[in-house]
Amino acid sequence: MKKQAFALLAFIALLINPYTAQLYAQGKEATVRVSGEVTTPIELKAADLQQFSQTDVKRKDRDGNDHTYTGVILADILQKAGATIGKDLTKENLAKYVLVEASDGYQIVFGLAELDKGFTDRLIILATKIDGKPLAPSDGPFRVIVQDEKKPARCIRQVTAIKVQFAK
Amino acid sequence: MGVREILVSKSFKVLLLFAAISISAWTSMPGEPETGPYQFNYPKNFGNRINTPDNNPTTKQGVYLGRLLFYETKLSANNKLSCAGCHQQEKAFTDGKAFSTGVDNVPTSRNSMSLANLLWARKLFWDGRAASLEEQAAVPLTSPHEMGQSLRESASKLSSSNTYRGLFKMTFGDDNITGQRICMAISQFERTLISCNSRYDRYLAHEYTPTKEELNGMNLFMNSPYPQLERRGANCSQCHGGAKTYLELFHNNGLDSIPKDAGIEAITGLTGDCGRFKVPTLRNIALTAPYMHDGRFKTLAGVLDHYSEHVKESPSLSTFLRNESNDVDGKTLNLRPEEKRDIIAFLNMLTDSAFVTNPQFAAPDKLSAR
Repeated sequence: MKKQAFALLAFIALLINPYTAQLYAQGKEATVRVSGEVTTPIELKAADLQQFSQTDVKRKDRDGNDHTYTGVILADILQKAGATIGKDLTKENLAKYVLVEASDGYQIVFGLAELDKGFTDRLIILATKIDGKPLAPSDGPFRVIVQDEKKPARCIRQVTAIKVQFAK
Repeated sequence: MGVREILVSKSFKVLLLFAAISISAWTSMPGEPETGPYQFNYPKNFGNRINTPDNNPTTKQGVYLGRLLFYETKLSANNKLSCAGCHQQEKAFTDGKAFSTGVDNVPTSRNSMSLANLLWARKLFWDGRAASLEEQAAVPLTSPHEMGQSLRESASKLSSSNTYRGLFKMTFGDDNITGQRICMAISQFERTLISCNSRYDRYLAHEYTPTKEELNGMNLFMNSPYPQLERRGANCSQCHGGAKTYLELFHNNGLDSIPKDAGIEAITGLTGDCGRFKVPTLRNIALTAPYMHDGRFKTLAGVLDHYSEHVKESPSLSTFLRNESNDVDGKTLNLRPEEKRDIIAFLNMLTDSAFVTNPQFAAPDKLSAR
């Protein structure tokens, strides 16, 4: 009897768990697809990104205040998918670019070398948090944050896809 | 009447008959279409990010055929409707209705979209679900509430025409008429529907001086509001900017808090896509009423009132429409009546009269494809 009551309690707890509730409310979970010139195309959920090492980047927002964004260095994600980052980023691979797409159709590009720490110390992350909290729905769940870039236009919100491509 | 006169009269009649037959043969045969690659002409500031599939290069003969098909009523189940039924040139290829009615008289679920500068479009339909015109064209042709006929049936109907068989041979190398080829030819024609001769285009080419109202409207259209700096704006160019006044974007523009039509969410299942639709081209916008995916606004004034004062909050509302105001701490744009008037003056600058009267886009001679 006790066992059954416990199971029932656990079941109710699971039902009203805010995380479960949130998932239910949000319908299908958003993902980021990494594809193109990679050896292993991958599709990442928010939880998958937590498996990567996390990096903080400070940036002023439109409101003029500094915010701390937390996320994964874009190059780490590309490396995981098998893009030619690091020691492989030489010769013709320097003619590659990374096309980032948002759910509203907005697109921006980086040269692949712009993301590689062998070329630059500037941090470009795929952020999932702002000041320790999840990004607002209109910005997230995934947003690129480019450290020190003067215009915010490449800090693309609601990222859905990252494609590595050769310039033709 | 002497024998000689009878003979002359007879030969005259024969001559007349011959002439009549010749003329009728001439009018019932298509003018031999030109052949070879079709050269698109558009201003440099439109950019070259055009979308033509490798397997369907645009040719003059393909465009010729596509135009006949665009106006071909045999492609509908009741032989009364063509693509042009809902895409009428004088209305910038719309039909002036909130929802169109097809062969079964059931209204479509969304507003007929304007066709202009599709050469640059990569996602078609209000929800962007088609990646090419070829893919798009098959839908209205076969949808029961639109033209309502299978592509196989359409191909079969056209196959009885020598003219069509000849044109398919010229375009695709043999006279096999298929549904896929019908869509390919229509797409070729649609890619030629380039609108680049509005007053706004001429202004960008330094050939037209806008009126004071047009210029003020243009500035409001282009600017974001910044009340702290006393800069007024309507923020339109965030989504409608560029020389083409078309950016391929998809937004929830605050029509409803709980939309009846879920838009892209119906495809992706993502709540962030709820009420999200294609941001349509503003080319010829003064000619394409009523407005929005459901044609709810009859006038541009109604559209301006919406963006200025009636944007509805919801979790998927576009971030460009949230808390943008011309008043410090304002929640809505709050444009003044004269500002709305000036923006509409600018929107009228986007009307391209040459486009909507271009004989190359008009219905071809009805006899030509029989």
